[in-house]
Amino acid sequence: MTALTLDVRGVTKRFGDGETGVLAVRGVSLAVEPGEIVLIMGPSGSGKTTLLSMMGALLKPTDGSVHLDGTAISELSEGRLPDIRLRQFGFIFQDFNLLSALSVLENVAIVAELAGLKARAARDKAKALLTDLGLGERLDFLPEKLSGGEKQRVAIARALINDPTLILADEPTANLDSKIGHEIMRLLRRIAKDQGRSVVIVSHDERIRDIADRILWLEDGAFKDIVTMAVDPVCGMAVERERAVSAERDGETFFFCSRGCREEFLGGLRADGSGNGRGLSGFIRTATEIVRNAHGR
Amino acid sequence: MSATLLLARRNLGRNRVRLLASVGGVALALSLTLALDAIYAGVANQLTIYIDRAGADVWVAQSGVRNLHMVASSLPASVIDEVSGVDGVAAVTPILEATDTISAGDERAVAYVVGLPAGASMGGPWDVVEGSDQVGPGEIIVDRGFAAQAGVTIGDTVGVLGGEARIVGLSRGTASLVNSVAFVSFDDFQAMRGDAPVISFALVRVSSGATAESVAADIERLVPGVTAQSRSDFVAQERRIVTDMSADVISIMSVIGFVVALAVVALTVYVATLARRREFGVLKALGARNRVLYRVVLIQAVLSVAVGVAIGLAFTGLLAAAIGRTDLNLELAITSASLAKVGLFAAIIAALAAILPIRQVAGVDPAVVFRRGAPA
Repeated sequence: MTALTLDVRGVTKRFGDGETGVLAVRGVSLAVEPGEIVLIMGPSGSGKTTLLSMMGALLKPTDGSVHLDGTAISELSEGRLPDIRLRQFGFIFQDFNLLSALSVLENVAIVAELAGLKARAARDKAKALLTDLGLGERLDFLPEKLSGGEKQRVAIARALINDPTLILADEPTANLDSKIGHEIMRLLRRIAKDQGRSVVIVSHDERIRDIADRILWLEDGAFKDIVTMAVDPVCGMAVERERAVSAERDGETFFFCSRGCREEFLGGLRADGSGNGRGLSGFIRTATEIVRNAHGR
Repeated sequence: MSATLLLARRNLGRNRVRLLASVGGVALALSLTLALDAIYAGVANQLTIYIDRAGADVWVAQSGVRNLHMVASSLPASVIDEVSGVDGVAAVTPILEATDTISAGDERAVAYVVGLPAGASMGGPWDVVEGSDQVGPGEIIVDRGFAAQAGVTIGDTVGVLGGEARIVGLSRGTASLVNSVAFVSFDDFQAMRGDAPVISFALVRVSSGATAESVAADIERLVPGVTAQSRSDFVAQERRIVTDMSADVISIMSVIGFVVALAVVALTVYVATLARRREFGVLKALGARNRVLYRVVLIQAVLSVAVGVAIGLAFTGLLAAAIGRTDLNLELAITSASLAKVGLFAAIIAALAAILPIRQVAGVDPAVVFRRGAPA
């Protein structure tokens, strides 16, 4: 059995008490292996950020525990957490969160210095890392002079400078255009696979599915099972494939919310055969996947 | 350069307007304190210059009289012989001294008027730039600044001690912001006082090998009814009088300067910290300890104040030099005590100015990094 990098065990987070209290995360469990990329998706307000904050030791769970490389970091005192964040986590943010007064090189080197590296060594290490990420010509630039993709690569360099075990990325491609977004995704995959670092990504970006080893859906503070959804081609309603009535046509399966829609669909096709119907192309044919009642492991 | 110093420096330098306001405010406020101290120190220097330059090692006065300003000393003339007989006394010069008004036309000025015996080796003017350095009957030596202001010169007549005297010499360095020193003959002075056989002070030069302090102590012990002080003690007493008189004004202005500087630095460091609140949250999330962030804030405050102090010092120094080149009877003397006071002020200002921002930083939630668009 592979040793887990991150092991989240039944964590719950409640904000406030009594009737006004909000249960943001409900008994979530998640295990992440070394080199694994886990993508957590879900609607806004589903608890993704709260979960990410707890994984990153920025927020204490109300219940449950978070283990990083076997250490229960959720049990550690506040005084010990900065070191954990500094040395074992790498954070990547949607807004990049670079320090605006510092140059590219300084933004990365300062994190190494905070971890105890001498200034010269920190700068050398940061320079090598940034050059490796294609930012060798931008070392003395201020963040405001960089493109979105460059800023995110600086943030990735900053996340990697202290050789973290786990990288937590919050919407890393949200502020980037499609091409740059793909570049960043490939970069994250390379980091995970070549360097064996675990990556947990919270995102709405469907494109990230391509690089994820595992996709989880968080809704109402809990993971849901992945179920395949389909769209009723007649009325457009989203339906679960497993529960929906279906019909075969030209080797393809269609799913419907009701028998009525199926009959209408089949009737239309028949009419099409006689020259009076709207034909297959006249129906909506979209399908998607969602998850429901799933567990992270 | 350490990470904290780098970040503090960059945070400050990033907003030049704010930095200028901060540094300028501190410089201005501390300059106010420093300049005021310097003016009073300069005035004290000017007021004691006659004691310093009169050439006496020991000043003998009426018992209980320990300074020159706003007091009168009267000793019997017989004291001169008694003092002369004390071991270690090489020479004694009696002088008469009173604060009086010298008038020339409509111009009137307060002066220490000193009555000098003919051929006196002590107590006379030390830098006569025009005319004679000796005064005879009906003659007077006045400060050239007063002469210029009153529009009189050598040969002209001025009113003094209820009579008139002809100017025979113009001296330099004998005027201050508040008065000047004028020299008349001992006999004239004595005559104006009804020829009473009294003197104001006996100026003593000590023999080589003797110290002013020991001779002063011996004079006090052997000559009844006198107070004898070495020149340095006499100067210190005179300065104390000036300081006591100006202490309240200096204190009030110092407090105003302190409060202004504190408010400016506190506000600018606070605003600078508030503007970077989210970035402090980012640093916390990345693993920076609170104490590191506190240090950043404190260094920001210290740097602001240090640059402000340097500029304030330079400004006051330049002001002192510029005033020294004018004909104003004003001297700005920047003393080490004043520098120490301003330095202490600056340190306290920096520490106090950092308190609020540090409280701000302490309250930053590192989880702010995940809140998009929300204020930190």
